[in-house]
Amino acid sequence: MELTRRHILKLTGLGLAGPALLSACSNDSSSGGGSGDGSVKFEGWDYEAALVQQNLDRFTKTSSVKVDYTPITSAQYVQKVVAEFTGGGGPDALYVYDDSLAAWVEGDYLQPLDGMAGVDEVYNAIYPGNAQAMTYDGKRYGLPYYTDATCLTYNAGILAQAGISKPPASLEELEAQALKIKNAGLLEYPIGLPAQLSDTWWSWVWALLFGSGGNMFDDQQNPIMNTSDTVTKDVFAWLQQAATKSKVIDPASLQLLPVPVDNAMKANRYAYTIGARYASRDYNDPAKSKAAGKIRMGLVPSLDGKEHGTVSNTRMYGLAKDTEVKDNAFKLLTYLGGYDDQKQPYTAKFWFLQRGLGFAYKAMVNDPTITAALKKFADPKVYTHLAEIAKPRNVLGVPWYTEFETEMHKVVQGVLSNQTQPSAAVASLAQSAETLKKKYS
Amino acid sequence: MVAFAERRPLGDNAKAWALNAPAIVVIALLVAYPIGYSFYVSLQKNNLKRPRAKRFIGFDNYKALLSDQAFLSALKVSALFVLVVLGLTVVLALILALVLNERFRGRGLLLSLALLPWAMPGVVNGLMWRTIFDAKTGALNGLLQQLGLIDSYHAWLTSGTGAFLFTALAQVWNTLPFSVIILLAGLSTIPSELYDAATVDRAGAWRRFTEVTVPWLLHPLLIVLILETMNAFRAFDTIYVLTGGGPGDATTTIALLDVQTVLTFTDFGLGSAYAWVITAITLLISIGYIGLLYRKGNFEV
Repeated sequence: MELTRRHILKLTGLGLAGPALLSACSNDSSSGGGSGDGSVKFEGWDYEAALVQQNLDRFTKTSSVKVDYTPITSAQYVQKVVAEFTGGGGPDALYVYDDSLAAWVEGDYLQPLDGMAGVDEVYNAIYPGNAQAMTYDGKRYGLPYYTDATCLTYNAGILAQAGISKPPASLEELEAQALKIKNAGLLEYPIGLPAQLSDTWWSWVWALLFGSGGNMFDDQQNPIMNTSDTVTKDVFAWLQQAATKSKVIDPASLQLLPVPVDNAMKANRYAYTIGARYASRDYNDPAKSKAAGKIRMGLVPSLDGKEHGTVSNTRMYGLAKDTEVKDNAFKLLTYLGGYDDQKQPYTAKFWFLQRGLGFAYKAMVNDPTITAALKKFADPKVYTHLAEIAKPRNVLGVPWYTEFETEMHKVVQGVLSNQTQPSAAVASLAQSAETLKKKYS
Repeated sequence: MVAFAERRPLGDNAKAWALNAPAIVVIALLVAYPIGYSFYVSLQKNNLKRPRAKRFIGFDNYKALLSDQAFLSALKVSALFVLVVLGLTVVLALILALVLNERFRGRGLLLSLALLPWAMPGVVNGLMWRTIFDAKTGALNGLLQQLGLIDSYHAWLTSGTGAFLFTALAQVWNTLPFSVIILLAGLSTIPSELYDAATVDRAGAWRRFTEVTVPWLLHPLLIVLILETMNAFRAFDTIYVLTGGGPGDATTTIALLDVQTVLTFTDFGLGSAYAWVITAITLLISIGYIGLLYRKGNFEV
């Protein structure tokens, strides 16, 4: 028998006061919907919590379903939700990272949405990459919150000052352009990347791999970066050269999280970075950025200069497996991630217009309101093209993904700081993947 | 009345047990149970991502550590970290304690300043040093450039050696005052007659230090060594904030790996095994210190 807090208190005879106090301090012990009025316990990471609440208030007004919303600091989101699901008191509906989906399904936290009203319709309307990222073991577990494709972001003003008229197509060209900017005395380090270990995933590494047509894993999640796929090693070799020989990548990148890189881009301190498309909205906002109007979005440069692709990520809304208010929770999910009664993805549009967050719905790109808003910070053609060529990480379908991603960050830091050679780096990654596979088998 | 007359008074032992029972229960609940439970968890395959795979596996988690590269690397980093931190702490604390043991104008102010870092939580300490070492806006870069010692700003925490040394310095800065307090207390117990006698015997400052001060300080030093070794082995917050364990795994200590394993990877079984290894190593080192120093310091005046 597992000893629970309740058992221990009973056994030790602390009496009534102890349990009463503890239960008053703890969260609701039932799994969501505990208030009995059908209200939905909804949790998400703390991005723009006030806007989320504003949108949820609108839902409650139109549906009469109460929502008890809790924003959780993003740095602790995964741990907190896992602890809640394990210890009791988990939410009814929640945000889910595509990175966490496999582990959370394996952990019995989520239930599939197959067969529920409107789900097929949503999956038919979104980009295949997003549908793939929300599907695990053949079942669909999410409705889309937002999605993004990683792109090359560049400061056309700085490029123009160095006499460069178009963005680089190849990594070699990127390095050459950056050297030109460096040699012209415009910037000491033209390229900035968020490569701090505390960040949860480094989209730019995957974007560089997919940009050159490479991958670290085959379709069965076997590591191939050390055998049949040489792209990873070649990309690592380029990174090492750009960081330690030509020195166009800022060495401070190893200490930078995305926000400081964003700030540097907005202050004209970097000419290039690789990151989310939606960041360009902020970079081009005159109220926030000195570089406003000069930031452009480009395809991710590749090893051979040909166009290959980029990485996408998908954030979704999921439904707890043991929710007691399934109907209301699914109503909320549909409002947030699906279509409204006007057959419009209301919340997806809300987020794009409010904060420029990427959308999974293909048709939204033709919406005149969206196009008008998009033109303020990006070339709609490039923006859409990136969504079309973006693909999710195929290794997301394994429960050990987080461990692998964390290990990859260490290895890439080793490459950038010249501690690890590219061949040793890919060997180490392959070894890590094999060890993790064995550990989780 | 008859029953009262026949009642035997409680013995001292029974009274002691009865009076201490509440405290024993509380300690058992708050200390012994979590410790025992963590050992029990360390004998399990217990990963929240695979709740259905949870089972008792005996010492398999411990056996796995022998071939766990991440663990072995973290152990090496931790050992080096402990050596550097401990070496610097003991030397600097001794110097500071000797200085602060003297009477001079401004001693009180200096004493307060020297003790200030101890009041700072590890996370705040990490944040402060991260600001100081920042590659773009750091105070260290600004100072060195103004002094003409560097031409341009450096990213101090991006080389393995640099990150390791600066992290160790940040840790020393945070924990040094505690050692100073202990050594200062030890110094204050040395009878001044011993120094007077040594001076009469024409002993120089070095002889007075090695033959009077050091023997008297062996017990306080023992406490410093044990506690600072434990602190350095468990160092997490400052390192996490300052480098996150990088670059690569240059500053990934065993405590950092442990927290990551439990909280990020939700592997409670393996994480608990890490914690028990830290405990065992610290315990062994402490026993070693006691064996080496306790008897030597056990002298009579």
